[in-house]
Amino acid sequence: MDSAGASSAQRARTALIFVAPKLLQFVFVIWATYTVTFLLIHFLPGDPVLAALSLKGGDATTTDPAALERLRVQYGLDGTLWEQYFRHLTGVVTGNFGTSISTGQPVSTMISRVMPHSAAIAGLALVIGILLAVVVTYLAFLTRSNWLRQTLMQIPPLGVAIPAFLTGLVFISVFSFGLGWFPSSGTRQPLSVVLPAVTLALPVGAIFFQVFSAAVFEAANGAYVFTAVAKGLSPRRIFTRHVLRNSLLASITILGLQIGYLAGGTAVVETVFSRDGIGRMTVNAVLGRDINVIQGVVIVVAIVYSSVNLLVDISYGLIDPRIRPSLATPKTKGSPTAPDAPENSAPVRTTT
Amino acid sequence: MRLLKKPGLLVSAIFLLLVLLAVAVPSLFATHSPLEGVAAEKMLPPSAEHWFGTDHLGRDVYSRVVYGARLSVAAAALAVLIGVSVGAVVGLVAGAVGGKIDFAIMRVVDVFIAVPGILLALIVVASLGFGPWSVAVGVALGAAGSFARVMRSQVLRVRNEEYVEAAGALGVRRGTILLSHVLPNASRPVISMAALELGTAILSVSALSFLGFGPQPPTPEWGSLVASGREFVATAPWLSILPGVVIVAVVLAVNRVAQQLGASK
Repeated sequence: MDSAGASSAQRARTALIFVAPKLLQFVFVIWATYTVTFLLIHFLPGDPVLAALSLKGGDATTTDPAALERLRVQYGLDGTLWEQYFRHLTGVVTGNFGTSISTGQPVSTMISRVMPHSAAIAGLALVIGILLAVVVTYLAFLTRSNWLRQTLMQIPPLGVAIPAFLTGLVFISVFSFGLGWFPSSGTRQPLSVVLPAVTLALPVGAIFFQVFSAAVFEAANGAYVFTAVAKGLSPRRIFTRHVLRNSLLASITILGLQIGYLAGGTAVVETVFSRDGIGRMTVNAVLGRDINVIQGVVIVVAIVYSSVNLLVDISYGLIDPRIRPSLATPKTKGSPTAPDAPENSAPVRTTT
Repeated sequence: MRLLKKPGLLVSAIFLLLVLLAVAVPSLFATHSPLEGVAAEKMLPPSAEHWFGTDHLGRDVYSRVVYGARLSVAAAALAVLIGVSVGAVVGLVAGAVGGKIDFAIMRVVDVFIAVPGILLALIVVASLGFGPWSVAVGVALGAAGSFARVMRSQVLRVRNEEYVEAAGALGVRRGTILLSHVLPNASRPVISMAALELGTAILSVSALSFLGFGPQPPTPEWGSLVASGREFVATAPWLSILPGVVIVAVVLAVNRVAQQLGASK
């Protein structure tokens, strides 16, 4: 146990050493994402204002240079590239993503209006996906039949090969038009969340399964499982008490990746189910060549993605002491020092 | 033959050969015209005459799927090709040069890996305009990052091999060493990864076409076929679901064959 005073200052320093680089990385990823998007949009051929206008109201509307320039100023697309870059960058820092070319509304308002709809299906999909992965792995872990285990392990890769638009359409024709259990579209009814969430959950669960089941079967060879077996614990108890915790913890690292996948997946799923949300808004923005909205969405996704990664990293340090920098306590030399990810063979907690 | 012991692989390989044949000569498989329909025969359910039924213009959906293979497969293959080439060059340069340049390149690569592939593709499509080729470029950009990362790690591994050191000691120029010694030995994992990526690319291309960024009607393409059938999902679900099932079959076959390619190395 630490004694008070000096050690609490030391602890704060350790925490700072642990957290500071991760915060720096958080800021870096968002800045870099902004820069890369900006460069892509401005260096690929095509004039966004012209393109958006010709889509908006036929080609004969505005060819007058003065009027075009006014529109550029209105949407923040005037001036040199450097001016635009810094103007938008300060906008990002202050939460102002400019004005949508097709709707004329502030992009941040548009995003915050549809965000809850997407968050609902993405969050539910994440929960359902993780549950599915855990259940399939649990059954494969418990079964004594080699054949059944092989079959169970073959199912999740299917989830990656089936496009979300197909699953969604099959669900709509079976559960909406066939059985009439769930609404086929919209966001009004509370049950409308179910089908899109399950559609998204299949690939999400499949990706999670690959990491999770690998961690489980690796952990099953660990010394602490051997001890638990020797103690006479039932396989079921070994799974829930020992293996599950360690493997889940090891699999949390891919949550960030999953957020990225979810952000892309909502584009398809929200289109299939005609739901308002970030994804559908992005698709409409691309159809209208509305680059301000596209850039805003990409930055919001980058912020969500980096926040999740930051939280995962920090919670890792809180849950698993082996991750923390061991500068302050050189005594723990025997244990592995700050590995990138915890080894699954070493349990976090083995007491029953 | 060993292949007979793996029926899944055999079926996948034969199926892929048929798909490739359909890409090359679609008229071999198509039973009707992909573009011209018979107005009296619209919205028919699947039958012996029309395997996948007919759409709202009386066109045979099976024939449209056959003709659609060309654009779907070509766009996906192009995406992988661009992704691998760009990724390989970036990874090779980063791994070979090292130091600060390597660090800077890899931070940019990190960003391309962090931004979801479909968002990158959407940015590209929004800038370049719609069509199967901009979709391919967009998908390629989303995939290039991970190719660069793998290539770089392979270059770092190969760079310390004895034969590379030997070539250096013999006075072979750096560029020659890189191209004739490092590149061939470093590319094996990248190539098997590219084979796996083809399945993902088919899915991404068809998803983007489904969203309406691919070829414009009446050109048949798998994702667009699903999208146009979607309007009739309440009354004629086969119009969208059967082309979708074809996509799944192709992706599974590609993945199975790619897995074998990766394992035999």
